[in-house]
Amino acid sequence: MSSKSNSLQTRSVVKSTNWRGMWTLYQREVRRYLKISGQTLLAPIVTTLLFLTVFSVVFGGGRKVGELTYIEFLAPGLLMMTILQNAFANTSTSLISQKVNESIVDTLMPPLSPFELTTGFVLGGATRGLMVAVGVGITLSVITPISIQNPSAVAFFAFNAALMMGSMGMMTGIWAEKFDHVSTVTNFIILPLSFLSGTFFPISRFPELLQMANNYNPFFYLIDGLRFGFTGQSTGSIETGIFFVIAVNILLWASCYWMLFIGYKIKD
Amino acid sequence: MPNLKHGAEVSILIAADKFSQTSPANGKRNWLGLKTLYLREIKRFSKVYIQTVLAPVVTTLIFLAIFTLAIGRARGSINGIPFIQFLTPGLIMMAILQNAFANATSSLMSAKMQGNIVDTLLPPLTSGELVLAYASGGATRGFVVGFSVTLAMAFFTPLELSNIILIFFHAIAASYMMATLGIICGIWADKNEQMAVITGFIVTPLSFLSGTFYSIEQLPEVLQILAMFNPFFYAIDGLRSGFIGYSDGPILQGIIVMCLVNFALWIFCIRLFSSGYKLKA
Repeated sequence: MSSKSNSLQTRSVVKSTNWRGMWTLYQREVRRYLKISGQTLLAPIVTTLLFLTVFSVVFGGGRKVGELTYIEFLAPGLLMMTILQNAFANTSTSLISQKVNESIVDTLMPPLSPFELTTGFVLGGATRGLMVAVGVGITLSVITPISIQNPSAVAFFAFNAALMMGSMGMMTGIWAEKFDHVSTVTNFIILPLSFLSGTFFPISRFPELLQMANNYNPFFYLIDGLRFGFTGQSTGSIETGIFFVIAVNILLWASCYWMLFIGYKIKD
Repeated sequence: MPNLKHGAEVSILIAADKFSQTSPANGKRNWLGLKTLYLREIKRFSKVYIQTVLAPVVTTLIFLAIFTLAIGRARGSINGIPFIQFLTPGLIMMAILQNAFANATSSLMSAKMQGNIVDTLLPPLTSGELVLAYASGGATRGFVVGFSVTLAMAFFTPLELSNIILIFFHAIAASYMMATLGIICGIWADKNEQMAVITGFIVTPLSFLSGTFYSIEQLPEVLQILAMFNPFFYAIDGLRSGFIGYSDGPILQGIIVMCLVNFALWIFCIRLFSSGYKLKA
């Protein structure tokens, strides 16, 4: 496996960025999930619709959250939940299946620097998150009217959420040794956080202590920010959210870069 | 079996051709084989219990948390029953349905994908014995998950047991129903993607929308009538009446429907194995 060590170059052989290699990796990541779109695009749309149905039957009939009807409150939360879960799923499953199949070497051998690898993988995952969200958004808008109060906030929070989960998925995929490890992270960290960070109900219903903890929860800022973009209403401060989300993203990106740079769990 | 010599492959196929016995070869039940296959099915999921038992427990608790918090202090009630008390049996049944199904399908699918299904079909087990072992394996997972979920919930919300026999009947009947359904889907599907589509588009929606979260009286008339033909509804409704003594539909009708559905699925599974559909080249 000595060839592996050559693949983790600290800088490109040719001194410019390997755009074509990066583009090829990105395209592979996108095609990987598009090929099974029934499972990767349609299934999340159906799941989101199920949530909407269940919650509108249970909580329909004039229940309000602040100035919003419950469905207006819920729709942006469901959209964000979709982005979070799917962007994460793409990078983590891509990396773990390559590791289990032992085909990861085919990705590491080409002259791609850690920066280029990170970009290709993370953008691939982000694309899946955003694509599913657009699908869910269109479906939701057929069922319930959706207005966008602040398009730039919607774009900012959607895109940053996709990047955040893409890189988090990448770190998980690099760290994990079995599919089990990935599903443990998904079931015990990602799902609970994406469910309980204000998707379905305002954070003010939490006990005091958990409300404080939420000030450090990036998922909360993402959901709150996207809801602000759609409805103009938010529970937390949007400025804090923007800074926090950017900081977390830089940190995660740097960690992915660092993991590939030192060859953590990929290089013997 | 790419690494086998051609001759060996042929002889295995010939031997496999005989697997679909409808009666035992020597006139006796193969109890040892039955027990071995059943134990393998149990070990398969208990080895990864974090993913197969703990994960569903956590997911169910998250649902409980969401609904408790979303309802807030303005307690809703359904026909005089506090909402959370109404919800708990529904969530337990949802966990049973999804996990009993998942066990049989994933076992058969992975054996087919890896090409080692022949190792299960080759031993002298009749179709009936194969179905019994696979279905019991899946049903055990459904039951174990259901039981763990019940225990976990008992910490957070008061559980009353109004009719233990009804609880056990519906938990077991639903587990077997989903396990046999899982066998049928596992035999039919050629790819993991088809399986994911069945789970995502049929099993999950039915387990969500058949009265887990609400009384079907809250639904439009047409859907209420449709529910009378939906075995998932009877499973959820029956378990709920076992726990809290309230049901949307008639209890006796539910028991009869569950028995009939189980019987039909069982026969169908045996016939699938006997015919060799998608298993025999």
